Amino acid sequence: MRRLSSWITVNPRSRSRHRLRPAFALLTALLWLAPSTLGAASFTATLDRESVTVGESATLTLRYDGGQPKTTPSPPTIPNLQVSGGGTSQSITVINGQFSASISQTFLLTPTQPGDFAIPALTVEIGGQVLSSQPLKLTAVKAPTSAADGAGDKLAFFKLFVPKKEVYVGEILSVEFQVYVRDGLANGEDILQGFDQFSGCPVKAEGVSIIKTAHAQRRRARLGNASYVVATLVTSLSPIKTGPITLGSMDVPLTLQIPLPNQRRRDPFDPFGMFQRMQVEERRVSLSAEPEILKALPLPRENIPATFNGAVGNFTMTVTAGPTNVAAGDPVTVKVALSGRGAFDSLALPEQNAWRDFKTYPPTTKVDTTDPLGLQGTKTFEQVVVPQSPDIKALPPVSFSFFDPDQKSYRTLTQPAIPLVVRPGGAAPAPVVAATTRAAQDNAPPAQDIVHIKPRLGAVAQIAPPLVLRPWFLALQAVPVLAWLSAVLWRRRAEMLANNPRLRRRRQVAQNIRQGLDELRQSAADNKSEAFFATLVRLLQEQIGERLDLPASAITDAVIEEHLRPRGVPETTLAPLQELFQTCNLARYAPIRTSQELAAIIPKLEAVLRDLREMKL
Amino acid sequence: MRGNVTTGRSFRLGPAKASDRAPGRGRRVATAVVLFTILWLTPWCSRAALSTAAFELANKLYEEGKFAEAAAAYEKLGQSGQTAAALSFNLGNAHFKSGQIGRAIAAYRQAERLTPRDPDLRANLQFARNQIQGPTLAPSRWHRWLGRLTLNEWTLLAAGALWLWLLLLAFLQWRPALKPALRFYVLGLAILVVILAACAGAALRQARFTRTAIVTARDAVVRFGPLAESPAAFTAHDGAELRVLDQKDDWLQVSAGPRRTGWLRRDQAVVAGG
Repeated sequence: MRRLSSWITVNPRSRSRHRLRPAFALLTALLWLAPSTLGAASFTATLDRESVTVGESATLTLRYDGGQPKTTPSPPTIPNLQVSGGGTSQSITVINGQFSASISQTFLLTPTQPGDFAIPALTVEIGGQVLSSQPLKLTAVKAPTSAADGAGDKLAFFKLFVPKKEVYVGEILSVEFQVYVRDGLANGEDILQGFDQFSGCPVKAEGVSIIKTAHAQRRRARLGNASYVVATLVTSLSPIKTGPITLGSMDVPLTLQIPLPNQRRRDPFDPFGMFQRMQVEERRVSLSAEPEILKALPLPRENIPATFNGAVGNFTMTVTAGPTNVAAGDPVTVKVALSGRGAFDSLALPEQNAWRDFKTYPPTTKVDTTDPLGLQGTKTFEQVVVPQSPDIKALPPVSFSFFDPDQKSYRTLTQPAIPLVVRPGGAAPAPVVAATTRAAQDNAPPAQDIVHIKPRLGAVAQIAPPLVLRPWFLALQAVPVLAWLSAVLWRRRAEMLANNPRLRRRRQVAQNIRQGLDELRQSAADNKSEAFFATLVRLLQEQIGERLDLPASAITDAVIEEHLRPRGVPETTLAPLQELFQTCNLARYAPIRTSQELAAIIPKLEAVLRDLREMKL
Repeated sequence: MRGNVTTGRSFRLGPAKASDRAPGRGRRVATAVVLFTILWLTPWCSRAALSTAAFELANKLYEEGKFAEAAAAYEKLGQSGQTAAALSFNLGNAHFKSGQIGRAIAAYRQAERLTPRDPDLRANLQFARNQIQGPTLAPSRWHRWLGRLTLNEWTLLAAGALWLWLLLLAFLQWRPALKPALRFYVLGLAILVVILAACAGAALRQARFTRTAIVTARDAVVRFGPLAESPAAFTAHDGAELRVLDQKDDWLQVSAGPRRTGWLRRDQAVVAGG
């Protein structure tokens, strides 16, 4: 999003007027030459404060959006209310190529007597449209005497200004938190700037709903013989319970710097005092405003309208509907705009029982506020209703009720019925589109209703935790891991054998001996003497050859004397080995033996082979 | 094993011989298996039939315009321990037609867990969300992309990729000569495993560990503290989706954005996820 925004303030007394003139001309030209690109024109009047003390000023801002007014209006002459011109500012905003421009005109309103001052609706013509602002009310209360509270003696103090002491539950009240700083304080400007940057809520209270806080313009005030600069934070709040409510303020520790008198001592090196620092006395204080008691009244229980749904304030209502010539089942959009003063966030359209012949959908809302506290403005409800029958002749009257705290009574706004022409619904089926492009889908009109229910239940599943949280599924994931680990181990073993021929031969010989012993048992059982002894000799040769790292074919009974005895093989092994070799030699000459005799040789062979395997040669 | 095989000889009439003993035993085993299967499947089949009948009954209520009754019937069906995307979808429709957008969105989200790519479901969920007023948390583009698959689908994809990768590694232990040729496949699969596992983890976090409060009250006041006397922070309307941050007694700490945090009464919302 590309955003270009500029603000230029035009003040008759401004020294930079000449520099601003080209920019002002450009803005004016844009306003005049591009009215078609601007948004809809609007005109609003707002006050920065609703209550002031006599002698103080409130700022009235007239804002023109979407065009330049043909003639700029001024507030009418009101007895006991001084009106002085403030300034004019213009702004142009360009967002994604869309212009939005506004002109603001300010006036200072200063009451000279206490009382309520009604500022009537002002009318202006913008781009051929005649627009009116909302009427406003300014309350002026009597200024407290400085002798009463001794304010003129204080260097700085806080004050809570509550315009009225009795409010109804749900009513919006603007409470001012005023910061008084006496002229001449060395760090007075720093203190005031600190409050200008404060963004929290200065009012502390229980039983109220804090809505919003905004800064009002700084002003000057005179109390007794002292002159003060006053910074004001306005907080809007609404009681949520009945009974007395104590409004307090935040407690702020401050360091006040008071210039010392006769501080200028003549310095021969600085005759003009240019490099001399102001000598001050620092005084640490903790400031808080005197608490104020507010009485929250319950809403009357008598004469509550049927359509009252909790709205408190002062509202007007306009209702439009379109299209008014439809077929049964076609949607009609009803726009209900509630304008005035109140808590717009909680403002809801009451249920319209008279709309029972219509299918209704929940409304969408839009809030446009015109003051910094968001208490004045318009909330627009856009509701789609669908006439169900061609017998319907009108949209029933729309009603909205609220409690007006000024009149202390309930009020009901009712707009008359809007005539409708409802034709019988068309029976022709909608054409079937064989294929749609993406662009066509994107440009498709928004759906008017939800897709109908599904006639078939479809796949039914048991409610179960997801796979990733089921133990069997997690255990199953170990299978590929184990497969990979097994492959790695198998590969390692194969490589180890490939790099160690003796180990490979030892394992091969061990396998051959296991197979050979089976063959021996089979030969003994079959009484095959010749095969039996041939295998026996082969097994002895392989085992001894492996142990001595000699070829098996080179092993004869001579190996006993040549290799085994010199290497310290015990006689308990050599003797049976010698006997086995001799038995084999004898078998060549007397090969026929019984199966039992042959089987008896096998344990001896196994013992010799075991001894040879376990021996360290 | 031979005894478990039922052959034509086992159906021969006449006195049994010694050689027929094994097939006879097989027949008994086969009969037992069939009976066991029937007994095991019967409750499932009857439950499915019950569900279908009740579902069609609820559909009938909906078609008659008795949306609240239809919603109650769908909800009762959903309490049987079974779930179906169509059931949650229709429940959402019934709630929507009853004017309960929050409950409709909760039901649509439940259906979304089963069939996230159903165009009807996506259209209705979007339509319901378009009706919401005031602060609500719209799903981010990342969450929308992640939600195109169910958590189980993400899990199976990640597991499948893991299996492929590890089996390829095992194969290369067996045929190390193919390592250079398959090196890029190994690397690509490893990256795929990491990405899919991250997506599955994010989907798990979204589905099981991120809780969303869907406002069901018409206008629910979100307060600064978990007390009825606490000042109001903002008002959430029916259907607003708020992230649940904490819970205390009957209050939920919810957030609708960086500067919109507060406490909402538990009975004014349904909590999805977690």
